[in-house]
Amino acid sequence: MDHIASLAGKDSLSRRYFMEMSAKLSLGVGLSVPFLPRQLKAQGTGKAKNLIYIYLSGGMTHLDTFDPKRGDVMGNTETIDTNVDNMKMGQHLTKLSKQADKLAVINSMFSTNGAHEQGQYIMRTGYEKRATIVHPTIGPWAERLLGKQGEVLPDSVVIGQSTSNAGFMDPSLSPLPIADPGGGVPNTQLIVEGDRFNRRMEMAQKLGQQFTEKFKYSGPDSYVEYYKQANRLLKSDELSAFDISGESNASDYGNGRLGQGCLLARKLVENGVRVVEVVSGGWDMHVDVEGSTATRIPELDTAVATLLADLESRGLLETTLVAIGTEFGRTPDINMNSGRDHFPAAYSCVLAGGGIKGGTVYGETDGQGKKVKSNPVTPEDFIATIGYGMGLNLEETIYSPTQRPFVFGNHGKAVTSLFG
Amino acid sequence: MNKLPCLKPVRILVILLAGIFTLSAQARTWTSTDGKSMQAIFLGIEGDNFKFKMQNGSEIIVPSDRFIKADQEAAERLDLIGDDSYTLASARQIDTLLAQNLKKNGFSSFNDPLPDDLFVRRVYLDIIGRIPTKEEFLRFAESAREDKRQALIDELLISPGYASHLFNYFADMYRLNASEAFVNGIRMDPYIQWWRDQLAANTPYHEIVTEMLTATGNVGQNPASGFLLRDTGMEFDAFANFGQVMLGIDISCAQCHDHPFDEWTQGDFYDMAAFFGNTQRSLGYRPSSAMMGGGRIEMPNAPEGWKKQFEDYASSEHGINMRDQADRQFRYFVQALGWNVADNEALETVLPHDFRGSGGKPNEVAKPKTLIGAAAKTGGKTRREAVADWLTAPDNPRFSIVIANRMWDRAFGRPLVGPINDFSDSSIRGAAQPEVLKFVTREMQRVNYDLREFMRILYNTRAYQSIATAEEPDWGDDYAFQGPVLRRMRAEQAWDSMMLLQHGPEIDEKKGADGSFYKALLDIDLSEASNEEVWEHFQAWDSTSRNRMGFAVLASEGNMTPTIVDDKELRASELPQPFTNASMLDTFGQSDRIITDDHNFDGSVPQVLALMNGPVTERLTGLSSKVVVDMEEYDGPDDKVRGVFFTLLNRFPTKEELALGTGMIEDFGDDGISDLAWSLINSPEFLFVQ
Repeated sequence: MDHIASLAGKDSLSRRYFMEMSAKLSLGVGLSVPFLPRQLKAQGTGKAKNLIYIYLSGGMTHLDTFDPKRGDVMGNTETIDTNVDNMKMGQHLTKLSKQADKLAVINSMFSTNGAHEQGQYIMRTGYEKRATIVHPTIGPWAERLLGKQGEVLPDSVVIGQSTSNAGFMDPSLSPLPIADPGGGVPNTQLIVEGDRFNRRMEMAQKLGQQFTEKFKYSGPDSYVEYYKQANRLLKSDELSAFDISGESNASDYGNGRLGQGCLLARKLVENGVRVVEVVSGGWDMHVDVEGSTATRIPELDTAVATLLADLESRGLLETTLVAIGTEFGRTPDINMNSGRDHFPAAYSCVLAGGGIKGGTVYGETDGQGKKVKSNPVTPEDFIATIGYGMGLNLEETIYSPTQRPFVFGNHGKAVTSLFG
Repeated sequence: MNKLPCLKPVRILVILLAGIFTLSAQARTWTSTDGKSMQAIFLGIEGDNFKFKMQNGSEIIVPSDRFIKADQEAAERLDLIGDDSYTLASARQIDTLLAQNLKKNGFSSFNDPLPDDLFVRRVYLDIIGRIPTKEEFLRFAESAREDKRQALIDELLISPGYASHLFNYFADMYRLNASEAFVNGIRMDPYIQWWRDQLAANTPYHEIVTEMLTATGNVGQNPASGFLLRDTGMEFDAFANFGQVMLGIDISCAQCHDHPFDEWTQGDFYDMAAFFGNTQRSLGYRPSSAMMGGGRIEMPNAPEGWKKQFEDYASSEHGINMRDQADRQFRYFVQALGWNVADNEALETVLPHDFRGSGGKPNEVAKPKTLIGAAAKTGGKTRREAVADWLTAPDNPRFSIVIANRMWDRAFGRPLVGPINDFSDSSIRGAAQPEVLKFVTREMQRVNYDLREFMRILYNTRAYQSIATAEEPDWGDDYAFQGPVLRRMRAEQAWDSMMLLQHGPEIDEKKGADGSFYKALLDIDLSEASNEEVWEHFQAWDSTSRNRMGFAVLASEGNMTPTIVDDKELRASELPQPFTNASMLDTFGQSDRIITDDHNFDGSVPQVLALMNGPVTERLTGLSSKVVVDMEEYDGPDDKVRGVFFTLLNRFPTKEELALGTGMIEDFGDDGISDLAWSLINSPEFLFVQ
């Protein structure tokens, strides 16, 4: 029987009940594994040991990037050739066009969610947003299915967000949120140093000891443990994995948050973090799509092209799956404000590294980018494809504390032909 | 099926209670200065007189100066919150019932009584959601009044902090969220403010629930409609949430199949959901299609052709083409007006095409039928009125059990039956304290869902006023309630305590943005409003949206002139809901209000780092912090150490702590005080309610 299910027993326990009774000594940073790592059941290729998921929030225009067409729908965006014959790109992807042989482009994504919140939710969890449960993102899923990877660093990190959660899974699986890639882990600068800090800590520990002797509860004990761990982290070299200030190729990535986020993601993956999400906004181009693409797409181009080259030169590309996702595409018809509106009927996502067969174009839209013509891919399929690359068991049922069954990718069909 | 065997309707209950609480045995004894005494229920102060009800039912008036000082003080307290004869008798009855079971479970009695210092910290945290100030602590510790505990409980229950703290609980339970699930800036602030107002007015809980279930209109016209609008587009989830919070059962699984453990079928789910089957949440607005340019926006509660006619007016009078894409704001404005609850007889709940459980067929229309208990009386009522009446009827004990059990859980840290939002009838029958559960359920009905009076009973029990149980009871165990359990503060309690430490008790009175501006914008009756009036509302909408002020921070005097409330140094309940920008609230587990009862009490490394090194720590313990500056009033290091302990942990330091603290201050002066304060905030004791 599944571990959670056996703990929860027949009388279903609420999420809160479960969390309160479950192991509390862990929240990602340098703590023990909450669930016993099981026999690693490799599924799919499993070549991708790590994942960098670049999430473009707002809805990336597919026509101006990876699915260019001819005629009016393109506005003033021109189409360029790439180093792969059958792959074309929008004019701003100049650097990526030279690495097209590393990419698998899916041009047949479609979703039924035309609102940002809902669209983003399913593209990051594989599940429709509901009002009765919160689904985990890929990081907690991977840790739950594969066991914790590192010892001190968390298993998953989300960059560009100040909060995170593990959905219905144990909170210890929550990705560590890093709001600003340049800022690192918040609150790691001591207010006072040296003896004075030690004096403070000693007094606090004495008080804590009395309290934990008085009350035999896991709560206060866990805080004592967290203080130990925090102190260890503050003194540890591993903290430097979050510091990108000394990286020699920092400017190659671009100075914006997307570029710096990709740089931090590379560094974290190199140090043993399994899943890094880089969330970047600014893609909701209802007004002046030409002006917006001229700034956002080159930023994406520089960041991803540098990331792929950097991973390759470090020998990490074969084991690191890089994914670019977004909630929907944008209308082929340009609106009265020279912008493009939401368009979930057809859009593009990209995969690279981690066993992906580069130079692949999968699926096709019609001549105006309005309709998927072949090989449709849903958000669930896309998430399942990532899971397939990471070797996650797509059929292993995990029960929520309320006994609802879930599988990674919600039974989406992995596009296995993308893998070499 | 699923009927509770022992509970009787409330009318019988009153008679039963009369049996339990005979006035002669229970009413407070009042003593005159010349040594005479009488037993009577206090009715209030009238001028210089006290008014009483005697055992025989007669009312008498007695000059106040005829009573001894203690009784005069008591009268002043009771005048504000009501006589406590029944309250205290009820508390004693709970203690009697618990004590009987304690003996059976091998305990000699309750945990030791709570000493004064621990009592004062606990009741401040439990009742008004923050620690007491040093002055509040000392005032209580130094008071010689015999009834000082009752007096403090009453004082706190009628102070603004009570409603603020209770709001946080309901905000989590009812998932109060200003903007979740809405696009284009449609907001819930008026609904959220309505909740604040109901709790501040101590509106009986069943009235709050009834108003939410039967509301019509938009959140400007009727803020209670926010409850149903909250899950627009996810109507079955909304229904499942209704089951969890109001019936204490999680029926969500029956949406897709027959319930695996209970007796409900998939058909039962849809039949019960059908009570909301003709509830229309948004008038003609289809969230997904409208954003794709395919949606048509209609205003069914407005005269036919209203929109076109208004557009013509705007064009001819103001030279503005509303259909121009550049005037997207008009579209948003109309959409906001359109989030509007109505009963529409053309709508039905239809079973899904892949229905596979029992009790129905695919694509069949579901007829409203209650899932548990008696049938709903539908005559002359809308479906929602029928379900609200059924829910809150005396012969449906489930509603009373749910709220009584939740309030019990708030006081003791463990429910009488759990989990609080999903327990079966067999769990009720198998509860470890069946008599207590039965009794408090009746009491909830007797006090007519007055939550303040109900909590007043619990806080006055000997069980509550015991020291916290030293060893964590297992979740599976049948807890005997020898005392409350140790609990970590809610994120809001920690936050509000920090606000107190920075700003003092005035923080309890400080108000944030109240949604009144947004409420005023949407409060239009289109069937009567003139074009000029609508234009005025739209102009106010348009100007604020364009300035990007954000409705969340706007208030008004009920008119269309907004004021900006940008102060973030407020109690958690007065901040925008939920307050994701305040890392402290979020880091310490405030619910993000997506699913019910989602507050997280776990610790984490980020929490610890925030307390060690975060900006708030400097404000709380730095050299210019209130706690350090306040210690100037004390001369010796001993008193300064005591002062810091009184301020942060609300207790006397032990001998050893005193020696350690004194050493720090003698050696390092104010830096030492700052260090000591830092140490207290960074010891687990600070975060726990014992």
